[in-house]
Amino acid sequence: MPPSEPLAPIALRKDGPDRLVIDWDDGHHSVYTFRRLRAACPCAGCREERERPPDPLRVLKPGELGPPAPVSMPRVGRYAYKIAWNDGHDTGIYTLEYLRSLCECPECERRKDNYRDRYGSD
Amino acid sequence: MQPPGGPQKFALPNIQYLVAVASGKGGVGKSTVAANLALALLAQGKRVGLMDADIYGPSIPTMLGIGDVDPQTTPFPIERHGLLVMSMGFLLGPEKAAVLRGPMVQRYLQSFLTQIDWGRLDYLLVDMPPGTGDAQLALAQTAPVAGTVIVTTPQDVSLNVARRGVQMFRQTQVPILGVVENMSYFIGDDGKRYDIFRSGGGRRLAEESGVPFLGEVPIDPRVAECGDLGDPVARRYPDSPAARAYLALAENVDRQLRQAEQPKDLPEVQL
Repeated sequence: MPPSEPLAPIALRKDGPDRLVIDWDDGHHSVYTFRRLRAACPCAGCREERERPPDPLRVLKPGELGPPAPVSMPRVGRYAYKIAWNDGHDTGIYTLEYLRSLCECPECERRKDNYRDRYGSD
Repeated sequence: MQPPGGPQKFALPNIQYLVAVASGKGGVGKSTVAANLALALLAQGKRVGLMDADIYGPSIPTMLGIGDVDPQTTPFPIERHGLLVMSMGFLLGPEKAAVLRGPMVQRYLQSFLTQIDWGRLDYLLVDMPPGTGDAQLALAQTAPVAGTVIVTTPQDVSLNVARRGVQMFRQTQVPILGVVENMSYFIGDDGKRYDIFRSGGGRRLAEESGVPFLGEVPIDPRVAECGDLGDPVARRYPDSPAARAYLALAENVDRQLRQAEQPKDLPEVQL
């Protein structure tokens, strides 16, 4: 048996044109903007791109792209969701722990800010 | 430095289920429930340990009839009635008080869990001190607690405090196995049921908190008598209504833990 029951989502739904909300079984209510979720795509390609300096030959800057939105969000086993985006990208697998860590609700943002203030980075 | 997720938990690979028995308020019979639940699990063929985490007011040694212990010469845990037992009371003796700050409480609890040879156990029950203080937080954040049983009595004052206990375990992400209502009713000599402190409060608390209701344990004057004799009612009077209630409670706790192990499918996303 795992040391402690892992967190699990109870419901996930789109909230308006640009947000996703997740209700967790510990009572927490997470909110995410699609823009932040897309920018945090955990696939190897996106990770590598984030670590590289910006491409000077890039035609469109991120701000000039249309707003990102998921086309579908299928389940991956019992541990993650895969997000297929409207820009055609669909290789990011967002584990439940990762989704929880990305929560943008005021409470989580405050906690992350405090952590950054104290230790410098997440 | 700790990550935002909280401190790292230590592992107890030889213990299948570490279960905390907690309450918000003192005096609801939490230690009595812990001792009798341990014996009921034992009666169902489980290997069971009982750790008294009530550092400040350990009562498990008295309840199980374990007299003075010389901590210098006694190997821990002590076996009693088939249970493996460890308590702060063994280190202090009956007359001494534990005067400890929070970090020391955490160190004692961790030592009891990790440095004592419990062997292979199906269950290690931890009798928590009342409240939502250092001991509860230390256990919830650092020990691999499989679940918590919240003990309450039917009165509103006890329920209100138990609600805080539910909230604390929620916040620390420890699964709550459910609520048990102690001193729930009394069976008179006429065979009728009397709800002395009213009844149904534990069930209400469970419903409003969205956790299972594990059962109700009746008032039986023999429970106190057995506690003082060091031979809990679940063992001394196995056919009594209270002992039967503890057996049912043990079955429910076991069922909840097994159900929690069943993986659940993730919900679909509504886009």
